[in-house]
Amino acid sequence: MNLDSLLLTLVWTLPFAVVGLSLLIPKGNELWVKRLHALGSGLGVLIAAWLTYRLYGRLMVDGAPMGADLRLYAVTRIDWLPSLGISFFTGVDGLSMLLVLLTAIIVFTGVLASWNTGTQVKEFFALLQLLGAGVFGVFISFDLFTFFLFYEMEAVAMYLLIGVWGSGRREYGAMKLTLTLMLGSALVLVGILALWASSGLGTFDLTQLATVRFSPGLQAWVFPVLFVGFAVSAALFPFHTWSPDGHSAAPTAVSMLAAGVMMKLGAYGALRVAMYLCPEGARQWFPVLLYLISFNVVLGAFIAIRHKDLKFITAYSSISHLGLVLLGLAAGTYLGVKGASLQMISHGFLTGLFFAVIGMIYSRTHTRLVDTQSGLMKVMPFLGVAFVIAGFTGLGLPGLSGFVAEATIFIGAFQNPDPQVRILTVLAVLGITTTAVYVVRTANFILHGPFRVDDGHGHVMEKPETSGLTDASGVEKLALTLLIACILGMGLFPGWISRMLDTSLLPMFRALSR
Amino acid sequence: MHALLPDLVLMALAFFAAFSGAGRRRPNLGFHASWIGLLGVLAVYAVRAFALDAAPVDLFGGAWRIDRLGLLWRVVFTLSALCAVLLSRGNFQRRSGGREALTQPGEFFALLLFSTLGGITVVSARELLTLFIGLELATIPLFFLAAWNKRDDSSGEASVKYVAMGGVSSAVMLFGLSYLYGFCGSLSLDALAVRIAAEPDHALLWIGVLFVIAGAGFKLTLFPFHLWAPDVYEGSSTPLAAYLSVGSKSVAIAFLATLVCGPFAAVRETLTPVLLLLAGATTLAGNLGALKQGRLRRFMAWSGVSQAGFLVLALAGPAPLARSSLVFYMFVYAFANYLAFFVFAIVARSRDEGFSSLRGMSREWPALAVLLAISMFSLAGIPPMAGFLGKFGLLASAASGKNFLAVAFMVLNGVIGLYIYLTVLRSAWVDRVADGEALAPLESGRRERIMVWILAAALLLAGIVPFLSQRIVQLLSPH
Repeated sequence: MNLDSLLLTLVWTLPFAVVGLSLLIPKGNELWVKRLHALGSGLGVLIAAWLTYRLYGRLMVDGAPMGADLRLYAVTRIDWLPSLGISFFTGVDGLSMLLVLLTAIIVFTGVLASWNTGTQVKEFFALLQLLGAGVFGVFISFDLFTFFLFYEMEAVAMYLLIGVWGSGRREYGAMKLTLTLMLGSALVLVGILALWASSGLGTFDLTQLATVRFSPGLQAWVFPVLFVGFAVSAALFPFHTWSPDGHSAAPTAVSMLAAGVMMKLGAYGALRVAMYLCPEGARQWFPVLLYLISFNVVLGAFIAIRHKDLKFITAYSSISHLGLVLLGLAAGTYLGVKGASLQMISHGFLTGLFFAVIGMIYSRTHTRLVDTQSGLMKVMPFLGVAFVIAGFTGLGLPGLSGFVAEATIFIGAFQNPDPQVRILTVLAVLGITTTAVYVVRTANFILHGPFRVDDGHGHVMEKPETSGLTDASGVEKLALTLLIACILGMGLFPGWISRMLDTSLLPMFRALSR
Repeated sequence: MHALLPDLVLMALAFFAAFSGAGRRRPNLGFHASWIGLLGVLAVYAVRAFALDAAPVDLFGGAWRIDRLGLLWRVVFTLSALCAVLLSRGNFQRRSGGREALTQPGEFFALLLFSTLGGITVVSARELLTLFIGLELATIPLFFLAAWNKRDDSSGEASVKYVAMGGVSSAVMLFGLSYLYGFCGSLSLDALAVRIAAEPDHALLWIGVLFVIAGAGFKLTLFPFHLWAPDVYEGSSTPLAAYLSVGSKSVAIAFLATLVCGPFAAVRETLTPVLLLLAGATTLAGNLGALKQGRLRRFMAWSGVSQAGFLVLALAGPAPLARSSLVFYMFVYAFANYLAFFVFAIVARSRDEGFSSLRGMSREWPALAVLLAISMFSLAGIPPMAGFLGKFGLLASAASGKNFLAVAFMVLNGVIGLYIYLTVLRSAWVDRVADGEALAPLESGRRERIMVWILAAALLLAGIVPFLSQRIVQLLSPH
């Protein structure tokens, strides 16, 4: 096993080790549990970053593969259940490496953002780490069985996390989210089993299945089943309603992980499995799916305007942004697919930042409603600025990561000569304008104007000096700064990310257009 | 003949247990003899099945065969009986779930062992009559066991219902078997297979096949023959409910697999739609029935109905894959179900057996709540628990037969299935004890504590390290 494989294995096994260690900490030392988890996930970020750096060097030397086959790095391969053709097969290419790095950062900042968790601390952080490990697993698995295993694992950890540590309608939100996501993975399972049984190879190995040209009749039904199954977790209309209910009930870190990386799992699976294995089905179905997707983009943004709960606003904005990812994928041009991948990464940072800030504001003012708080800039300038940056990233301000991604998607989608696609693209661009409306309005309401906080329980604060509200603590500032740095970094220097993506997207796009 | 020895030891053990109660001097003798004996026989079976890879042995003029599949099923049956014996211990010592303590342990264990012997007969029989006798031997002792709580009306009610349903199912089954005999002219399964292959469209054959499946459907709680299960589980005792849900069910599916993957293989094309319909309807009925349950044992009965559908689904695949996925799934199902029942037994020590007794478990005893979660997730088929790999195998078997629509239907049913298992976890994890309301503290004996950890470890291990599934597939694949 070479160093790269070792590092990659370390990335996804480290959470388990941290959980195991945390079980040894005796009761009553909650702070040490938190410190251990912060240390462990921080180490995870460093390892992932180091591996990304190493991989970047190799990718720039090797360049993109010529054909439609994936070239994987840091491969680990162990026969797991050979009789069914299952192996434990992990590795990375440019796309999954970047997503692994994103996940590591979101888990780390999520741990920091939940520093104030009070009840059943050990269980909370353990489940959070397991959730993270599941997401890593999906991004690095190139065997459909293990891919699915990890994919399904995290939907259920979410149930306990939201149900036990959530707020508001936690039980309802948790159940709805879990069941909807399971519905999606049920469809995925059907698709995977159909491909496995029809391939005649008796293997779940993605790279081998990609060499099979499945019959058009099979692709015609397997592709929509797989794509919709994956897209459920990317909140494809009309399966999007789990997202607002789930996010509004979830604790901060879980919202960050759910919106920041778990929704990307759906888009990633749609690209890596559905489109890569069933290109003909994809071409056949995209014109239909595009209509659903444009509902996502436009409707999500419009609904966000109407909501007053900060978490609902962010959840609907996520639906709209994930719609852009799907739009990029479904546009069927190379730039579209690339923009979609950029948006996956950009939106991970953006929504992580958004939910982190909202959680921090909520933990102070005890209200998430837009119209019951104003003038927060006077008492928490750091959080206020972070909120504005997150909002501006969402509406695609140049210099921030959102612009790079969204501009690429729109250009890519418009390259498709089909007039239908072009009209839908123009509509989607209007959706972004709508984003500007709710972002600016919300920021204006809660940050500016005279200071006033009404927590809905008859407790009204009017004077900043006596309110007792504080700005972000050191730990919180660290989390927010890291996320903002990532957004700025990606916005100002997108070149290396783009080059890394090229090496893995080109072969997949060739498969799509053959 | 030495291949028959462990079976004979088991029979001797059953007689010994039966008479151990007569002396009244040593009340624990029956229990200790049963569990130690079962453990020993289980070890012998396991070694013979997994390690020695013994060649098939034909006995009694070909009526009785001990082959790999039979040995694997024996391991499942004895494992299930062993867990039931260990689980029942507490019910003889104290009140449980608000019911009186059971009496006459010796006879109880003896009947349990006879039922296990019935299962062994089923998987060894190579002709219809022995098959039928095995099935009856597996069922009839359970009629008495259901009525064990003599002073409890619901126990008597459970037994009466079970006897009535069991009697009808036996009659239906025997009716079907008589048609098969009439069609074939021989009781031997091999002769039947030849005859079916020769004339697959004969009306007599199809009457026989459908009645046999219906008869087995009663025991396997297939829709629409499943309605007895909730009442019987609820009325009888926890250990018997556990044994019914695992031991009795595995005998029934072994019986069905013997026929469907054996002599009926020639008419698979025609039979598959029937099986798939049964599977889909059963799982849907089980899931819907479990939706609104408030009692743990009733819930487990409906859960068992839902699981039975998945078992039948696997029969639609190619025989080797169907057999191996079924055997593996029954192992996993035994681990998960007994784990759940052990947890419920711990709860029932000091509380009643309603969902509300689980409230606050995640705070009071986090480890137990985690173990319950492992069990429920395994039943729901969530990775990394072994239940996932097990269900995956069942689905893969059906998918290999290209029954994609049925697979899709079952997988979507699995989503409802997840909901029903989450309702248990909701009670244990999410629901909190109201302020001012005090639930009696949870307590447990050493035996229960050890067993829950062993079973949970088995569930995780079998799900993460696939040595068990791999070995089973290897053993049952044609060479």
